[in-house]
Amino acid sequence: MSTPLIILIVVIILLILMYNSLVAKKNQVENIFASIDTQLKKRYDLIPNLVASVSKYMEHERSILEDITKLRAEANKPNISDNEKIKLDAQITSALGSIMIAVENYPELKANENVIHLQHTLSEVEEQIAAARRAYNQAVTDYNNALEQIPTNFMANAMGYTRKEVFEIPKEQRENVNVKELFAS
Amino acid sequence: MKTVSELTDIYYKHLYPSLQELEDERKKIKNKLIGIGFFYTLLIGIITLFLLSYDASTEALFGVVFIYIAGMGFLYRWLIKDYTNDFKFKIIAPLIKAIDKNLTYSPSLHLPSHYFVQSKLFTSEPDRITGNDYVQGTIDNVAIKFSDLQVETKHENSKGNEEYTTIFMGLFIVSEFNKNFHGRTVILPDTAQKTFGDYLGHLLQQNNFQRADLVKMDNPAFEKEFVVYGTDQIEARYILTPAFMEKLLILKKRSKHPVSVSFVNKNIHIAIEYNKDLFEPSVFHSLLKYKIAMEYIQTLHLAVGIIEELKLNKKLWSKL
Repeated sequence: MSTPLIILIVVIILLILMYNSLVAKKNQVENIFASIDTQLKKRYDLIPNLVASVSKYMEHERSILEDITKLRAEANKPNISDNEKIKLDAQITSALGSIMIAVENYPELKANENVIHLQHTLSEVEEQIAAARRAYNQAVTDYNNALEQIPTNFMANAMGYTRKEVFEIPKEQRENVNVKELFAS
Repeated sequence: MKTVSELTDIYYKHLYPSLQELEDERKKIKNKLIGIGFFYTLLIGIITLFLLSYDASTEALFGVVFIYIAGMGFLYRWLIKDYTNDFKFKIIAPLIKAIDKNLTYSPSLHLPSHYFVQSKLFTSEPDRITGNDYVQGTIDNVAIKFSDLQVETKHENSKGNEEYTTIFMGLFIVSEFNKNFHGRTVILPDTAQKTFGDYLGHLLQQNNFQRADLVKMDNPAFEKEFVVYGTDQIEARYILTPAFMEKLLILKKRSKHPVSVSFVNKNIHIAIEYNKDLFEPSVFHSLLKYKIAMEYIQTLHLAVGIIEELKLNKKLWSKL
């Protein structure tokens, strides 16, 4: 076999490997986003129940309850982009956090079995979401790195891949002092 | 759970009479060992000189050295046998009871082998599993078991003889984990990145065919000490929350030895490579020495303490 032919074969193999690794990275991001989506949906499904259980008592927090219902409706709309989902998730997380803290001011709610159940379920979903977010961020970082590093950047450019955004992880969650801790007793 | 200083108190106050007895026994055994060892060495020395004067082959000389070492080991074990038993019943057993009444201690048993196999911490197939000092019980409603373990694998050496190589020697702990999971997550000391640097080490880890997928963690200190392999990227992070990673780092620091952890089959498995038989009585140093005492106490405290340390008692509501 002539040398140029060998070089050509090697180059083609390298290109295929590069192409496949980029596709694998993109799919990894999509796969993990799909599982975040499932977890987020699970959480959205808990919201109406939560609002119904607490609204009888929570007079001062009406606006948060309305907000969260609105946010949920928006998040459940079809055809919203991944970036929008990420943004909505952050808002819902913070709204849920304030409801959970507000519950502490109502002894009747704190003792309500239904509310306790919801709190536990929510905090478990929350932990799953936190884990999925971190997995997503790692996958996105790997993907973004491949987009910028030589030599995959040329290939990615040709394939029309663009950078993806990572989840902004709230500070409380980074330290993992989540809602669950508040209700541990 | 009792603190290390409380346990030290128990060691030096409540166990003092037993310690004194054992200390007398130890001194006698030490003198016996030195005495018998001396004559034994002398005997072997004379045989060697005798062999040398008759132009014996090198193989015969190697044989003598082998017999000498094997005999010495046998003598040692034979002489300290009763002393070891006394020590375990009079010192280690009460210490374990003092840590928690619910713990049972079996000095001659070891952790059932299947825990080691199911842990998936080591890729080599174990052929011989030995050990002792088996402790089991329930603390805060969490089941825990641990023991000394030596795990070896058999292979043929260049001469065609069977040989055993140690895969693991140290403390092996198994406990219920407080979260539900389905896949496998294995955390190992990060040797590749330490030896080959970040980039090359990482590349090697990514292509480790003996393991599941590499899971890159978002805590740089943790990434530096450990490498994580898992069957599920999300589940690995669900188990290894930022707080849990910090706790494992503390555990690693406290044990001062390589720590491997795995999450398989509802359990957390922790292997700490001390590379020696633990909870054995010291023969050549006084049992009253602070350093010797601390070795027993700290190791026990570390093993039982993982439930509190890793908050394994904070069960998820769905696991109650």
